[in-house]
Amino acid sequence: MNRRSRTIFTASLLLGLQSITIGSLNAQGILGGSVTGNVQFDGQLSRRDSVIGSSDVPEKLLSNARADILYTNGNFSAGLRYEAYLNPMLGFNSQYTGQGIANYFVSYKTQTFAVTAGHFYEQFGNGMTLRAYEDRYLGLDNAIRGLNVMYRPTNGITLKALAGQQRYYWDTRGLVRGLDAEFSLNDIVKPWNESKTRLTLGGSFVSKYEDDETIPADISGFKLNLPKNVGAASVRMDLAHGGFGLQAEYAHKGQDPTVMNDFIYKNGEALWVSASYSQKGLSANIQAKRVDNMGFKSVRSVTGEMLYINYTPAITKQHTYAFLSMYPYATQSTGEMGLQADFMYKFKKETLLGGKYGTDLHFNASLITGLDTTRIGGKGTDGYSSSFFGTGDTYYGDLSLEIAKKINSKVKLTATYGYVLFNPIVEGHQGEMHHNHVAIADLTWKINRKNVLRFEAEWMGSDSKYDPNVDDKRAGDWIMGLVEYNFTSAWFVSISDQYAYNDGIGNYYNISVGYTHNATRLQIGYGKQREGIICIGGVCRQVPASNGLTFSLTTSF
Amino acid sequence: MKTIFRLFSITLCAIALFSSCDKIESDNYIVFSGAEGEWYSGNGVSDKSQRALIEKYTGVRCVNCPVADTAINTAVGQYGDKLIAIAIHDSSSFTLPFGSNPRLSTPDGQAWSLFFGVRSAAMYPNALVSRTSTGGTWDLFTPTSGINSRVDNVLSQPAQVAIDVNATRLDNSISITADIELLQNISDKMTLTLLIMEDSINATQLMPDGSRNNEYIHNHILRDVITDIWGTDIDCNGTAGEKKMATFSYSEFDNTWILDNCHIVAFVSMKDSRTILNVAECEID
Repeated sequence: MNRRSRTIFTASLLLGLQSITIGSLNAQGILGGSVTGNVQFDGQLSRRDSVIGSSDVPEKLLSNARADILYTNGNFSAGLRYEAYLNPMLGFNSQYTGQGIANYFVSYKTQTFAVTAGHFYEQFGNGMTLRAYEDRYLGLDNAIRGLNVMYRPTNGITLKALAGQQRYYWDTRGLVRGLDAEFSLNDIVKPWNESKTRLTLGGSFVSKYEDDETIPADISGFKLNLPKNVGAASVRMDLAHGGFGLQAEYAHKGQDPTVMNDFIYKNGEALWVSASYSQKGLSANIQAKRVDNMGFKSVRSVTGEMLYINYTPAITKQHTYAFLSMYPYATQSTGEMGLQADFMYKFKKETLLGGKYGTDLHFNASLITGLDTTRIGGKGTDGYSSSFFGTGDTYYGDLSLEIAKKINSKVKLTATYGYVLFNPIVEGHQGEMHHNHVAIADLTWKINRKNVLRFEAEWMGSDSKYDPNVDDKRAGDWIMGLVEYNFTSAWFVSISDQYAYNDGIGNYYNISVGYTHNATRLQIGYGKQREGIICIGGVCRQVPASNGLTFSLTTSF
Repeated sequence: MKTIFRLFSITLCAIALFSSCDKIESDNYIVFSGAEGEWYSGNGVSDKSQRALIEKYTGVRCVNCPVADTAINTAVGQYGDKLIAIAIHDSSSFTLPFGSNPRLSTPDGQAWSLFFGVRSAAMYPNALVSRTSTGGTWDLFTPTSGINSRVDNVLSQPAQVAIDVNATRLDNSISITADIELLQNISDKMTLTLLIMEDSINATQLMPDGSRNNEYIHNHILRDVITDIWGTDIDCNGTAGEKKMATFSYSEFDNTWILDNCHIVAFVSMKDSRTILNVAECEID
């Protein structure tokens, strides 16, 4: 659909949407169904600041907006999403510029059968062969536009099949086909119905088709002989017995020369294993993974965050505190090995360490390395060979110990120590390994039922120093303070400041005010945003520096 | 238990069946990308006139493309052999064939479409005249109008290179000879690109009124780029008066093509800027 057609289409649908919405409000539903939805509008004004590296925004105001509308009538549902990027906020790809209906679908679902036509999101297993998903904060939307069918022929068996093209900003690209089957053996085998041991097996296959194209080889006059159909298959298991759990998935991908792997022909593979134990007041989990050339996109020559067919589960903790998340880890789909341990324990009340209210302890540690590889050649070769158990350079490591304790009935203190090891090569540039120590105190004072004060103090000591040639503004030693006041259950105001007091640059202050009324929330902030990257589940996007006003309005109905 | 085993076996078989994806043997990872030709001293080119190439990006589901066809045909009628037209179907949704019609897309056309920004602009029809650009931006335009000014602009410039091409049909191949004569000193590297085109292809076309014309005749359709899509290097030292010739053998034609309706287009372009310096066309004898 060209832009003009899309605009007309958008206008038509908006008119239709308006009618539907008004209709639902006036008539308490359409044809016996109901209309629900949500709206989000984010805006940003940013000015030049030479210290933090922010620039003036020529448009003055940047905005990302979206409205999801869902019509449901029994087993039938239909929905659409209008998006507008006028122009996209800083850090979001400029190819989003524009507005229109980005997502639409109709769906019919029962307990045993479901079919969706239009845009849909889907995941097979852990997503190692297919994960079509959206994360608006990453500017990522890998929705598939096509047909998705689910069928449960009998209790315990779930079959899925899909085919379609992936969203690429305002276009669709590629051709993806997939099958998935999952068997819950305890539901299928009668004698196992009541067993404490639960076992589920699954398998999936996904393939993409792409036309041939001319990609010159390194030898003049020759080009790559590209596979048009590339497949990836996986098998998985989920075993549980009482508090114990063991999950594993292995995926294999055929030859897939792409710009991500420098057009090599090596097969890809990935293994993910997770073992866990939990009981009241205690949980422990260990995860391991090995990923080798497993990046899987529906278009071989596209870089960036879009068009990923699969997803490799992240096994580093998703930190929420500012300094612990300053160096997030980006999953290296070309190759990595990782190990993570997570342990939580609650010291009971009225014990030596538990005190009057009990004490929560949370420990997490992870280590990610590259693969031990031997180079074979470059573009148009198998690329490299790798040892299955061998490890390469350390990419990332962290550990954190968090202790949360209620001091009295109104005050709760959370103290955290963290250590982060970060290799800049994971962000695509050379440099020394960073070693960061982080200490955090987070105190919440519930003054009364409607008034809550929160104080947060953070410190980060790093061996990294700001180097103008590298211009990594995260380098150096930092301190941070935050005060947040929630009052009348509806308002909050927050003031924070991050300051590089040694070997770094920048003073990033922020003031934020928010108001919530029923399902509507308005937040306005003013301050500075440091250049860096944000990652969610190992998937990242660049965040440029900004200096100015931000606001966000969300509502649902 | 038997049921589980049966179901799981079926699933694995289905996976195995669908897993039969393309596998490329290691000795076949790279392939010859196009005829390179052997360069010799040539006899020169008798017709030293400047010509222009209009390359139209089109599709059978593009309602305005027939309008562009008419405009281009009119221009070719006006300029005679000074304007050579080619029609390229990339792999956009506009090129999806109707019914059992053959798809007219080519990977080479798709590569050009992506490179020149036609695919990302998603505007069809779209065209370039002799691959000219302004300030680093390709001069893409909708070829329902504005053809003459662009062609005049190219033809008003003195030819820097003269080119002639001849093609002979052999038993299982086509022998192509290209003659080049430098009319000015040209220090930058040049390439020669050879294309095989086909006329009179009958395929359903969406018309401006939204109807389908099942009798639509497509002309100047790019079937294949015989050389590498960016051409083969011209072995010359760039001195005015230099005469070179090269011969090429092409046997990759598809048995669905009607060779009697095919012709060869050859053009010389600057290797770095891609701008076309001159172009020639011939029937296959």
